[in-house]
Amino acid sequence: MFSKDNGLEKFKDAETIIGASIKVKGNFQGQGNIIIEGALEGSLKTASDVYIGNQAKIVANIESKGTVVNGEVRGNIKTKGYLAIGGTAKIFGDIQYGEISIEKGASVNGQLMMITDDHKRAEKAKEETDSPSEK
Amino acid sequence: MHVYVYDDYLNKNKFNRTINRVEIRLTDLGLNGKILRLAGIKNIKTAIQNEIRIGAKTIVAVGNNQTVNKIIGALINDDIYGDFQKKTLLGIIPIGDDNSIAASFGIKDSEDACNILLARRVEKIDLGLAGNHYFLNEASIQSLGTTLEIGDYSLEIMEKGEVKIINLLKSKSGEIKSNPHDGLLDILVQTRRKDQTYLNAKSLKISNKEEKLIVDGVMEINTPTEISVLKDRVNIIVGKDRVFD
Repeated sequence: MFSKDNGLEKFKDAETIIGASIKVKGNFQGQGNIIIEGALEGSLKTASDVYIGNQAKIVANIESKGTVVNGEVRGNIKTKGYLAIGGTAKIFGDIQYGEISIEKGASVNGQLMMITDDHKRAEKAKEETDSPSEK
Repeated sequence: MHVYVYDDYLNKNKFNRTINRVEIRLTDLGLNGKILRLAGIKNIKTAIQNEIRIGAKTIVAVGNNQTVNKIIGALINDDIYGDFQKKTLLGIIPIGDDNSIAASFGIKDSEDACNILLARRVEKIDLGLAGNHYFLNEASIQSLGTTLEIGDYSLEIMEKGEVKIINLLKSKSGEIKSNPHDGLLDILVQTRRKDQTYLNAKSLKISNKEEKLIVDGVMEINTPTEISVLKDRVNIIVGKDRVFD
């Protein structure tokens, strides 16, 4: 059903890799691509892409440009671009996405909501209201 | 003027021939200068700083990683440091074993080092600081039970292996090639499960109740300790084959 270009592959140019024997606690933020094969509790935010391996256990809200989920996520996911959910993924939380693919076998318990241009405009306006630019 | 600082262990007879060859080569190249022997010096810091005050333009560590580490410690974090950074260069002539720092700078052996001193290719590079101890290459600790605190988050490592906080060392696998100009430390965790963790940070706190942190392979430090990086802090004479750009 899925072609090879389903976007579930791990990216090669990661700025951060968290291995399977690592447990991260706290608010993890980055600018580049992040690969997580271990455990994370707190929050995860990056301006680029996140890859969650099939052994990974995440208890956190995730915010990113693109996301690949193959492991377990307990928290909300907000991905402005492409969200690829693999067949081994277990997600307990609400999901916001630009584009999505869900492979057979994946488990998703939560609401799915597409981020439309209206959402993006409303969010930008909210950001400007919250932090007015210096004039 | 060049000042050559010879480490204690070079007094052993087995190094006589190498030392003689180096001294002849330096004379041939017109690079001969004053020799300080650490074996006869009570206070390295005072001795080296006096040389800089009276006009030493290049301080050359003749020895191994430990020699370089001792000299860096004597040069930095003092009132003479401003002069050192502006005017004085650090060179290395590796002799014997444990010379990974020289190797990182593209200095293969003592003969190569003489040619590199003559070529005078200078790089200003970052310097790592673990507690009160400086490091050029890396600080390392056993991974099991080690916790790293970086800004708003912490990393707990649950497997046996090694944690490396790298300033400029190239990893054996070649996957991690640190940049000692970026003001960042690379953190590499390799465990027996063969999985690898990699990230970078400007500063971090490291702790392990059982194990000590080893700085540049020569000095042991108790934890918890803060580790940070001082950007573009040392002027070093490097070879063409250095591990960084």
